[in-house]
Amino acid sequence: MRPAAALALLAASVAAALLARHTLSVAVLALALLAVCVRAPRERRWPYLVGTGISALALFVVTPFVETLGSHPLWTGPIVPVLGQLDVTHEELASASFQACRLAAVGLAFAAYALLLDHDRLLAGAGFARRSVLAVALATRLVPTLERDAGALVDSLRGRGVEVEGLRRRAALVSPLLAGSLERGLNLAEAMEARGYGRSDRTRVPSPPWTAAEGLALAGAVVLVALGAMWL
Amino acid sequence: MALARVERLTFAYPGAECALRDVSLEIDAGEIVLVLGASGSGKSTLLRALAGLVPHFHGGRFEGRVEIDRRDTRTTRPSALAGTVATLFQDPEDQVVATRVTREVAFGLENVGTPPREIVPRALHALATVGAAHLADRPVEELSGGELQRVCLASTLALEPTLLLLDEPTSQLDPDGAEGLLELAISSGAAVVLSEQRPERALPVATRVVFLEAGRVVLDAPVSRAREWLSSHRPLWTAEPSRGTQRSGELGSTVCRLDGVSFAYRPGQPVVERFDLELRRGEVVVLAGPNGSGKSTIAKLATGLLDPTDGIVVRTGRASLLLQDPGRYVVRDRADEEVALGVGGDLPRARSALGSLGLTGKEARHPRDLSSGERERLALASVLVTEPDLLVLDEPTRGVDPERKRELATRLRAQAPGRATLVVTHDRVFAASVADRVVSLESGSDPEGLTLVGAAHG
Repeated sequence: MRPAAALALLAASVAAALLARHTLSVAVLALALLAVCVRAPRERRWPYLVGTGISALALFVVTPFVETLGSHPLWTGPIVPVLGQLDVTHEELASASFQACRLAAVGLAFAAYALLLDHDRLLAGAGFARRSVLAVALATRLVPTLERDAGALVDSLRGRGVEVEGLRRRAALVSPLLAGSLERGLNLAEAMEARGYGRSDRTRVPSPPWTAAEGLALAGAVVLVALGAMWL
Repeated sequence: MALARVERLTFAYPGAECALRDVSLEIDAGEIVLVLGASGSGKSTLLRALAGLVPHFHGGRFEGRVEIDRRDTRTTRPSALAGTVATLFQDPEDQVVATRVTREVAFGLENVGTPPREIVPRALHALATVGAAHLADRPVEELSGGELQRVCLASTLALEPTLLLLDEPTSQLDPDGAEGLLELAISSGAAVVLSEQRPERALPVATRVVFLEAGRVVLDAPVSRAREWLSSHRPLWTAEPSRGTQRSGELGSTVCRLDGVSFAYRPGQPVVERFDLELRRGEVVVLAGPNGSGKSTIAKLATGLLDPTDGIVVRTGRASLLLQDPGRYVVRDRADEEVALGVGGDLPRARSALGSLGLTGKEARHPRDLSSGERERLALASVLVTEPDLLVLDEPTRGVDPERKRELATRLRAQAPGRATLVVTHDRVFAASVADRVVSLESGSDPEGLTLVGAAHG
């Protein structure tokens, strides 16, 4: 499936999750997106899944304490300045579940976008703002390169007996990493110019015609948004 | 009519000494020109001048003239020369634009205005030509260094250039990979200008040799005459693998022992399997093998940067590891502070280490402002200053010219009695000059594990 059709489906899933009113509907959406995400390689998907899971859990835990909703308390706690009396009601728990599922659905949709879509084809298919499009593609590629450079930098220091532990020591690596990235950026710019980047007679790989499945995916995206707005 | 003509070219980068001085040469179609010279002699600058990147991309002072296919590079931008000229740079990581292999190869074809319907077929054909057709749909981030360099070569060959510029393209490859890559480049039919630090790889395929020294051409001759000249004037550049002065005394105690060590970065995909190695004080052991056979992983296991998934590593005393391409990984703003990192900020000790490697007077310089050779010595000082009982060097001769290799070998031999030394390299000449013993990894994927086939010399 072309990335544009897949992106439309993911965007529709996010829209449906934001428009839906029932926790169960949003939970089903989140589970469907989770099933999509687990198709990505394990070592690449775990930061996204753990990040999404922790964020959703944090929202579920915090929401009952900052929301004032319902009249069926399950637990009543002390009075805290600014927040007032802490309590957890049946309705607040339901609301927290709903918000957590929503956040999980949005996070998982982004994870699917980052992990599974071919950004080259997606951005090349945009057909406008080619320099910006290329900048986004390069930025996407920069992430794993930076990750590797950071690992090599830490290894280089450990190889000299210098352990990189704690926030302060790790923060001190940002500047050399940035300097290294600038060096790489210069080298890349030179290589791009040598490969003809910037010429006015540029052409592009032709996009294949839309298939029936891709058309169906687009239609499905529209239906999903409508479902989210009216019935879910 | 020559394909490329360089006339009395003198060039200096902004704020720097001349990198090229009064260089004149002509390159005809079909020639394979090998450019040799020490680090900083102007090899890369000459290639950049032929690509038009000097002066357009770098700026600087440019005198003389360079013509490519009758086009003056002073008035023709490098992007306009692309297609006629194609360049393969040393580090593939620094030239990859796209996230997928086919798109990467297509990038140059799109830029030079290839008819849209021809782009993908030509990209796939180029990948097939370099034996990388199976990589067509792979993300570039999953490729090994050798695979990525092949993809980059495919990107240049896809343009069907008449002049192919190769700037130390084999520095990261094992001998077989390097030989294969050079053969592919040469069989393209384009005139090739190849810069190399390992002449033993390139001399057999070259038709002509240009030797640069301090930016000047001191030799421009057919390869047979060049061999004679090199033998009599620069013998290190034609050195065959031969043993240097190896250990004479008895070996000391065991400093590091790997017993049945296995390691996998991903479950079920072991990189090292049931590997045994003993390193004793006083010996220099070379670990050789093809790309991907697990050499660097063993270096990290030996120094404790990685813990084995199976087996045990026993180590006594301090271990230090110098990684590949160490010049990239500098942390501090001053050379002496960079070296002092490993000894708790002891600046006098760091300055002494810098001095022992010929870097006196460079203490206050920013490490990134040092030349590539000086950066390498700085990196070496950073590990030697810790006075390790086990010193491990991972590909220390990558991009290093023969003269500096000899210096390094001499230094390692001189300091060998005080420690155990493990050198990971596929540089046969260097290995022969420094090793007491060679351990060769035949295959990282062999279910029998890593086979010890190297003879124990000495």
